[in-house]
Order: sequence, then structure tokens, then C-alpha cells
Amino acid sequence: MKFNYQPEKCIGCHLCELACSGHKEGQFNPGLARLQVISCYRSDTLVNEARLCDLCLNCVEVCPTGAILSGEQGLTLDRDQCTSCGTCVEACPTGVLRADKEGFPLLCDGCQGNPRCVNWCPHGALTAREVN
Amino acid sequence: MPGYQGKILRINLTAGSSVVEKLNPKWAGLFLGGKGLGIKYLYEELAPGIDALAPDNKLILITGPFTGTVVPCSGKLSIVTKSPGTGTILDCSIGGTAAVELKRAGYDAVIIEGKAAEPVYLWIEDNRVEIKNAGECRGLGCHATENKLKEAHGEDSSVLSIGPAGENMVSFACISSELYRQAGRGGVGAVMGSKNLKAVAVRGTGGVLAADAAKLMDVAYNAFKNDLLTDTNLWAYTDGTPMLVELSQTTGILPTNNFQQGTFDAFNQIKSESVAAVRTAKKGCTSCGLGCGNFVRAGRSAVEGPEYETLSIAGSNCGIGSLEAIVEFNRLCDDLGLDTISAGGVTAFAMELTEKGIHDFGIRFGDVEKYLQVPGLIAAGDGLGKELARGVRALAQIYGGQDYAMQVKGLEFPGYDPRGSWGMGLAFATAPRGACHMSAWPAADEAYGELDPFTIEGKAGLVKDLQHYNAAKFSLILCDFWALSFDVMAEMLAALLGREITAGDLELAGERIFNLARLFNIREGFSSQDDVLPQRIYSQPLPSGATAGKTLPEADFKNMLAQYYSLRGWDESGQPGQDKLNLLGLR
Repeated sequence: MKFNYQPEKCIGCHLCELACSGHKEGQFNPGLARLQVISCYRSDTLVNEARLCDLCLNCVEVCPTGAILSGEQGLTLDRDQCTSCGTCVEACPTGVLRADKEGFPLLCDGCQGNPRCVNWCPHGALTAREVN
Repeated sequence: MPGYQGKILRINLTAGSSVVEKLNPKWAGLFLGGKGLGIKYLYEELAPGIDALAPDNKLILITGPFTGTVVPCSGKLSIVTKSPGTGTILDCSIGGTAAVELKRAGYDAVIIEGKAAEPVYLWIEDNRVEIKNAGECRGLGCHATENKLKEAHGEDSSVLSIGPAGENMVSFACISSELYRQAGRGGVGAVMGSKNLKAVAVRGTGGVLAADAAKLMDVAYNAFKNDLLTDTNLWAYTDGTPMLVELSQTTGILPTNNFQQGTFDAFNQIKSESVAAVRTAKKGCTSCGLGCGNFVRAGRSAVEGPEYETLSIAGSNCGIGSLEAIVEFNRLCDDLGLDTISAGGVTAFAMELTEKGIHDFGIRFGDVEKYLQVPGLIAAGDGLGKELARGVRALAQIYGGQDYAMQVKGLEFPGYDPRGSWGMGLAFATAPRGACHMSAWPAADEAYGELDPFTIEGKAGLVKDLQHYNAAKFSLILCDFWALSFDVMAEMLAALLGREITAGDLELAGERIFNLARLFNIREGFSSQDDVLPQRIYSQPLPSGATAGKTLPEADFKNMLAQYYSLRGWDESGQPGQDKLNLLGLR
């Protein structure tokens, strides 16, 4: 699953992050979302930016224990193999990948084909398409 | 405690101390959060008769159970205090990001007491609470203050600030956030200024828990897709509040030249299409699905706005048909920290006093150059500004023109002429904070809707029901612009809290909250004597459009008010009866 973000359609509501964290973590906390949206005024101009997993697979490649698995919909973590070393987070080129309090990377699995961030985007700023 | 963090942060600026207290769970159950719970805390903690600008007054920043969750349109913060403009209870709400950051920091509310010796600001980051020197921000506008504090604490922090108007305790100074969002009415910014509190900056890293997050997501998603994102609400996205300009013009309730007319010849220049033509972006608050904010650029000025209240009261009501001028007036008020409604209202009143030869303030309807000087003069308290900073009621007491001093209880009128929307007259007269469109907005049903606007029939019940609806909704907190039912609110709240909650429970909570606000005002000496409208509304017919020849006759108004008291279970002096108080658990 690949995401596309159109900043001109974003109203900065962060429902994507709230829905993501609610679905994946069982609590509403944008800090635990698998994507990040920045929407603010800088020098009299509204700036909308998003960090999204673009499935570059750098994290998969650098993981020293092979704990990150790439599947049809996205990435999943084998928590038994993960040592919370943080190498994947450092290697993420977009900076979207963050770790939770225990150090496990918050990987995006595209909600197994039903991405909540896209579902909750009110005006179509965020879209997704299947990739092979 | 799902839906709540269970903690209140209490700050004493005199002592320079902060303490974390447990949220009163019983009160949270009865008064929900936001507006209702804030009023409850203030009612219990504030001694009657204190000076609103004295250290004894308290400023309560309070979230609701939905704040920080995925429930759409729940990103607003309530600010509750005693109003320096009216002496009544005052609750305002402000959008942006502050409410969610505060809740993520782990608090349901912050109660601010006392007065700092020097200008300070609060920095709240989870458990870390600091009262910091704000000397460098002294005298700065809200925009510069916010930018400076975000530089210090990060772009992802949220800042609530006052401008020079708040520092100088102008009675209608506002609190600003995210540059263009305001808690506008009644002088919340003056209370903050009286405490030497320049700003509150907050960032939270925590989350909000639901009893059953998956269930809440299901229920809220259904409401989001099938209720929120429908034609009933999407006007907020396509147009935003400027759409009301043309509706008001057509129905003859567009305040013009200090409510001398209900139509404005130049309305085309300030209507929604004209605002949309200079719009460059749309913006919403955290968790909003609508995005009512229109970021516009007109001439050299840019602002998120202007909203309908500004276009009407600070536009047509001042005889100003230049959108560029209104945008600049809006930007100035936002930055200086002034409520555009009261600033516009007092400007229009001074214009009429000047034109009628009562007193020469040197400013006339349509005088763009003078009009654009007004916000700066008011904020600084210079010359003309020192006079206008008093507000409409005080200005009338000094110079005259009481019959067309467009205010109730000292709060200036918003943008609806009650002569063409009789229920609005009742709403203005009975709103706890004075002439206010946020307590009830019957204009939607009468002037803009299907009901006859020129009758009192059914209006007492309509206003009463709307007041309960808004009181509950603004306590949860949900945005005004989502016209959802009590049933949908109750379904989402039940999923959040994990217990049965019915529409009837919420309606009763709304009535309880509204009555408690009334009790606060009664304790401050208010009665039916204060539930009145300016003489102009009763006796001066509107001259043009759909309201030509119309007034809201005093006899009709009094009948409507008597019906309203009776429906409420209040006596003739406007005092809630014992039976009603017992029923609401307010004894």
C-alpha cells in the first residue's frame, strides 16, 4: 500500500494520526501514529507537510536481526526478533519511523488494506493505492 | 477514567506555585466538561461580588471528554471566568491545537489564580510546569508573542496569548491561539492581563484513553461519514460563516450602520463569493473534519477569516464595504488581542453618536482611514481609543444614546438584528454572558429557516431547547458547526466512557448547566431587570428589505420572556424555582 498526500487538500485536522493511533495502539495519541502531518502558518503562509511511509524498505535492509518483514500491504514487526536497537529509525529517510516507549518501531502495515488514516481524511488529501 | 485524564493543574501566580489535583468525578458526570464543568468549578470557588480584574478572579482553561480523541470537531478549549465587561459568568471557546495539547499533557483543566508580580507565561510540558518571565514579550502582539514562544518551545507546542489590549485590560480583550483563533467575547484577555499572564504555552506527549477504543472508532466513524460530512454541515468547508452575509441581507437582518438598517447596499463586496475570491487555503482545528477557516489575502493583508460576525458587525455595521479594509481590521484586532465583535460594535456606536451630533468622536460611517486606526488606539488606550475601550454600555452612560447602545448586560450585539428574528431577541436577552449568539441561535430556524421570524409563537420553547443543546455540546466539547443530534452525541459518549448514556441524560445536563450559569449571575445581582433589549429593537422600525417596517415590540418581547420563564420553571424575577433546582440536582 502506497500513500499519496496532497497538501492543498489538507486542513490540518490530524484525524489521520488520531485514527491511526486509536486503531493500532488502542489510544488516541498522534505521537504513536504511523504518519505525521504538520500544518501551521509560517510567515503569513499556511504550510502543510506530511511524513508517510513510502515503502523504501531501508528499515528492512538495515535491521540487524531481520525483525522487520515486508508483506503485501506493508511492514510488520517480529517483536521476538526486535532488539529495539533503533537502527531502523535512524535509517528512515523520511523520518516518519518512530519508536514507542519500549523502543519498538511503529511500522505501517497499511491496516492490512483498510488504511484508517485514508478513511478518516475528510477532504481527500490522503489517498492510497495497492502496490505489488 | 476513560475520556478524562482525572487531573486538574492549579496555578497560583501570586505564590508562583502549581499543584496537581484530582478531577472531581461526580462533577464531571453531572457537568460533562468544558463549559459546564468550568462553570461548576467557578461557581464553587469564586466568592460573589469580586472585581473581575482583581487577583481573586480565576481563569479556567478546560477540555472536555471528547478532547484529544478521534471524535470529530472536538478540538476546542473552554475558557471560563467572571467577565470584566459584564460582571456575569463568562465562557468562551477557542479552536486550534491548545485543547488537545493540554489534554495530552495529562490535564483536564488548568485553574489559574492570583496575580504575578511581573509579566509571566506558563510553560506546560507533561509533568513539567514552569512560570517563566515574559519580559521579552511585553507589549508584543499575539502573533509575535506566539512566534517567539514557539521558537523557544518548538513549533509543535501550542500557545494561548494576549496582545497589548489584554495587557492594558481592555474590557473586550480576547485570547488568541494559532494566530487566527480567538476566545473572543467578554474580556477573557483582560482577565489574563490582570494576572500579568502574557501567555500559556503547552505541549503534551501522552494520549487519551477510551473505555473501548475500537467501539468508539466505529461509532465515531459512522457519525463522521454519515452525519458530519453531509450537506447539513459542509457549508463550513465550502464557504464558512461568510455565507451568512447574503442570507442576512436577503432576510433583512444584516446589521448596518449601528443597527439603523437591516440591509447593506455594498453587501456584494463582503459576501461569501467575494471572500472566496481572495481565499488561498482552508484550515481546521485539531480533529475537525470540516475546516471552516478561510485563509485569505486581500491587498497587503492576510488573515484566517474574516468570519461573518466580523464582516457584519465590523463591516456593514460600520458602513464599511471594503473587504480589504475589513480583513485588515480583523488582522489588527487578532494581533492586538481585541474581540472583533465588540470592537466593531463600539466603533459603530461612536460613528452614530458623531453623526447625530451627540458627541464628536471624529469618526463616521464608512470612513475607512479612521476605522483602521481604531484597533490600535483602543489597544493602546490613546485618545479616541481610550473612550472606545470602555465598550458600548459605558460609552452610552457617559455620552448618551442609550436607546441605540446595542448591548445586553454590557456585551455588544453580534450580527443578527432581532427585529427580523424575534427568537434572537430572546436569545440575546437571556444568554448568561449578555448579547451572545452562542447560547442559542434560533436565526437558523426563523430568519434563515422555515419558522415565521415575526412572531413569538413557539420561540420561548425553541430558545430554551437550543440553550440546553448548546450547553451540553459545548461541554463535551463539540464545535458549534456540527449540527448533530443528542442521540449521536450520546452514542459516542457512551462508547468513550463505557457506560449507558442517553440523549435525555445529555439534554438534562444541558439544562443543569444553563441553570447553574443563571444561578451564578443571580448571585452577582442579576435578575429579570437585566433580561432586556435596547429601545431601538422595540420601537424603531427597520427601513428596508424583508424587514421594512418591522420592530420587536416591547409587549411581544415581554410576553415571550414571560413564556420562557414559565417554561423554564423560573419565577417572574427570573429565579429558578425550587422544584426545578431539585430536579436538576442544583440544590
